[in-house]
Amino acid sequence: MIKNRMILIGIIVSVIFVLIGCVYLSSSQETLDKVAEEFGLSESILWEGLLPDYELPGLEGNLFTNLAIGIASTIMIFALTFTMGKALKKK
Amino acid sequence: MHIPDGFLDLSISTIMFLLVIPFWIFSIKGVRSVLSDKQVPLMATLTAMFFAAQMMNYPIIGGTTAHLLGGPILAITLGPYAGLISMTIILFIQALFFGDGGLITFGANVWNMGVIGVFIPYLVFIIFMKIMRNKKGMLIGAFLGAFLGDVLAAIFAGLELGLSTINFPYNVQIAVMAMGVHHSVIGIGEGIATVMILSILLSKRSDLLQLQKMAPRWLPSIDLRGSK
Repeated sequence: MIKNRMILIGIIVSVIFVLIGCVYLSSSQETLDKVAEEFGLSESILWEGLLPDYELPGLEGNLFTNLAIGIASTIMIFALTFTMGKALKKK
Repeated sequence: MHIPDGFLDLSISTIMFLLVIPFWIFSIKGVRSVLSDKQVPLMATLTAMFFAAQMMNYPIIGGTTAHLLGGPILAITLGPYAGLISMTIILFIQALFFGDGGLITFGANVWNMGVIGVFIPYLVFIIFMKIMRNKKGMLIGAFLGAFLGDVLAAIFAGLELGLSTINFPYNVQIAVMAMGVHHSVIGIGEGIATVMILSILLSKRSDLLQLQKMAPRWLPSIDLRGSK
């Protein structure tokens, strides 16, 4: 019960983070990009990712799909780490 | 702090990847002797939480933004081995699905955020635990460890970037300075977040913090659970 409560709280906090990340703190101009730009380095697009920049191709800027992607990927990370943790844990 | 493909020389990317391999091997072996069954949900929850937290970009200096890493709290609560595995999962999914960080630069990103961002906070935390031997020392160590972990991870990213433009040697200094100074701001935020989560876990689920088992053998046998 306690364990499940901890997971539930963690998932709720994660969803809040995704919401804030999508709505308020989505602008990204990292120092690394700025420094690289000053040095004349440019990103080479070898692999854009299946969902580049956490957005669904063709529906860029759509808040609903961005939120859905954020939440679904967070749950996927949880499941993947849980499975890996179970496989690697102390016997 | 995710370095995309194209920003680093192939030689730098390769070296960084090779440097990470022994850490992966030791972590996979190490986690088998440390991670208990009841810690697995905590590992999954914190990993998911910090994946989500990395979506939030906070304004820092000069119109730029930065995000929390999450490595410090993973290292302190679960040990550096599980911490590195968690950070590797986050970085791999980000690169593969979202193009956040490159595939060729994957090794460099794991080195910066998964090795430096995890093992440095852990070492600082352990040193403070050993010196102060109380809860205050634990929280100070967690804060400073998280701060240093973030700043050093950024400095390494700057170093790799600067060395990739070796025709202009002064670039190393510029890149390291810019990254270090800018990320010291987010380092303070990472320190506060780490202390907050650690405090909550200490008061609510101290049984999940197997600090003695995570600590090196030379650490004196002390139980900080419930100490002031």
